[in-house]
Amino acid sequence: MDPTIWLGTAFALFSIGIYCISKSNMIRILLGIEMILNAANFTFIYFAAQRAAAGYVDPLGQSFVFMSIVAGGCVVAVGLALIVNAYKQFETTDARELRRLKW
Amino acid sequence: MVIPTALYYMFAPMIMGVIGLLADKMKTPKLRDGVAILLSLWGVVSMWMLYNMGINAGEILVINIGGNPPLGACLEIDMMSLYFAATAVITSFLVTVYSFSYMDHDTRLTEYYALLSAITVGMTGVAFAGDLFTLFIFWEMMGIASYSLVSFRKDRPGPIEAGFKYMIMGSVGSVILLFGMAFIYGMAGSLNFAVLANTIRGAALTPWTIIIFSTLIVGFGVKSAIVPMHTWLPDAHPEAPSPISALLSGIVIETGLYAMIRVLFILYEPALFQLPMAILAFATMTLGNLLALRQDDLKRMLAYSSIAQMGYMLIGLSTGLAYGLMGTFLHVFNHAFMKGTAFLAVGSIDHMTGTRDINELRGVGRKMPFTTFSILISFLGLAGVPGTSGFISKFVLFSSAIGVGYVLLAVFGILNSTLSVAYYARVIMALMGDAPENAVEAKEAPPLMITVTLLMALVILVFGIFPESVTSYATLASNALIEELSDYIGAIL
Repeated sequence: MDPTIWLGTAFALFSIGIYCISKSNMIRILLGIEMILNAANFTFIYFAAQRAAAGYVDPLGQSFVFMSIVAGGCVVAVGLALIVNAYKQFETTDARELRRLKW
Repeated sequence: MVIPTALYYMFAPMIMGVIGLLADKMKTPKLRDGVAILLSLWGVVSMWMLYNMGINAGEILVINIGGNPPLGACLEIDMMSLYFAATAVITSFLVTVYSFSYMDHDTRLTEYYALLSAITVGMTGVAFAGDLFTLFIFWEMMGIASYSLVSFRKDRPGPIEAGFKYMIMGSVGSVILLFGMAFIYGMAGSLNFAVLANTIRGAALTPWTIIIFSTLIVGFGVKSAIVPMHTWLPDAHPEAPSPISALLSGIVIETGLYAMIRVLFILYEPALFQLPMAILAFATMTLGNLLALRQDDLKRMLAYSSIAQMGYMLIGLSTGLAYGLMGTFLHVFNHAFMKGTAFLAVGSIDHMTGTRDINELRGVGRKMPFTTFSILISFLGLAGVPGTSGFISKFVLFSSAIGVGYVLLAVFGILNSTLSVAYYARVIMALMGDAPENAVEAKEAPPLMITVTLLMALVILVFGIFPESVTSYATLASNALIEELSDYIGAIL
C-alpha cells in the first residue's frame, strides 16, 4: 500500500475539517470536528493495516477506532443538544452571534 | 483479570444514574442526594484501600483488561497516579457535599449528580491509565461530562454560549490528541506506556517526533488551559454552577496537566521539553494575571487566576527534576483546596445575594462573616502569603527554577505573585468596606455550605504551617515519576 495515498487522504480530510471549523454555522463546525476525528481514525486504520501479521490486521488499531467512533458519537450528541438550546436562546445557528461573553 | 474491590468505584456514574431515576419515580429526592454523597465518600475510601494494597510500599499495581500488553488495555497505578486520583476524589467529595445545599432550588439533579460522578471517575481513570487507549476513553468521558455540566442551566444564554465554546475547543483538542496517538501507534506499534518508553524514548529526533510532540502539547494544553489555548476557560468556569466551577478549576484542568506530564516523561527525555515549557509557563502566568486585573465579575477573575496558577505549575515541569515536579504536585493539591474554597465561597455569595459583581458587593462581608473569612484565607493562599499552603508550593517551584538556571523565570514568577495581590486585595477591600446606602441584601449562607468552605480554609492553614505530611506524599509521587520510571516500565514488560 502506498503511504502517500492513504496519509494524503487523511491529511485532506483534516484540512477540510479545519476549513469547516473556521466557518460560522454551528452545525458545520460540529461536522468539521467529526471530519478531523475520522481523519485520525483513518490514519489508525492505515497503520493497523501496515502492521498486518499472519493474514489479519493488528486488532489494537481496530478496537481503538471502534472506541473513538463511540466517543465521537457522544460528542456529536452533546454538541447537537447544545446547538438546539442555542437556537432556542439566540434564534440563530450562527456562531458569530454568540458574543455576549468577552474579556 | 482480577479487579480489586476498590476499583468498583469506577461504576459510580452508572449506579448514580440508575438510583437517581428510581428516586425520581419514587419521589424521594433526598435519597438520591444521600447516595451521591455516599458514592463520592466511597471514592475517597477506595483510594485509601488502593494505597494500602502495596502502593505505600512502592509497589505498582497493574490490572490487565482484555489480554496482556502490548495488545490489551491496562490500568497501572503507582504513587503519582494515586496522588492525583486522591486529590480528585477528595475535591469531588467536598463539592458533592456542598452541592447538597447549593443546588437545592434546581431541578434535573439526577443528571447533575450522575455527570458529577462521571467527571470524577473520568479523572480517576486518566490518572490510573496504563496506556493511551484507556487514557483517551476516560479523557473523553471527563470532557463530555464537563461540557454538559458547564451548560447545566440551559435556560440562560450565558451557560449555553460558554458550553458551546468549551465543547468546540475541547473536542478539537481531543481529536488533535487522537491524531498524535495515531502517529505514536504508527511509530511504535503499541499504545502501552511501557512499550512506548522502550521504543520511542531516547530514539533520534525525526520530523515525526516533533509532530507528535506538538500534537501532544496542543491536545493536552487545550484541556489544561495553557496560553494560547486558554480562551475557553474564562467563559466556561464562571458560567458553570459554582460547585462545578470549583471542580473544573480545582482539579479538571490539573488532570490535563497530569496526562501531559505522564506522557511527555514516557516519550521524551526532559531536555527536549524544558525550554518550551519554560516559555509556556511565562506566557501563561503573565497573561492570566494581567487579564485578571481588569475583571469585575468575581468568578471570572478567579478563572483568570486559575490560568495564572497553571503557569506556576508549568515552572515545575520545565525544570524536569524530581524537586521541581514535587513543587508542581504540591501546588496541584494546594490549588485544589485554595481555588475550591474561593469558588465555593463566591458561590455562597452568589447564592445569597444573586450577584457576583465586585462593585455591587460592597459591604457584604460584614453580613456574611464566615464566607468572607474563607475567601480571605483562600486569597492569601493563592497570593502565596507565608503561613498558607500556597507559600510552600510556590517556594518549592521558584527555588527549583533557580536551581536549574531559570533565574529569570523565578523572578517573573515572584513578580507575578506580587501583581496578583492587587486584584485579590481589591475584592477583600470591597467585601470588608463600609456598605453604601443601596447595598444588596445579604445574610449568612446555610450551615452546610459554611462548614464545607471553612473546612477547606482550615486545610489551607494547616498545610501551610505543618506541610510535612502532604510534602512527603508529593515527594513520593515525583520520585515515582522520575527516579522509578524503570520500575514503572518493568511492572508491565
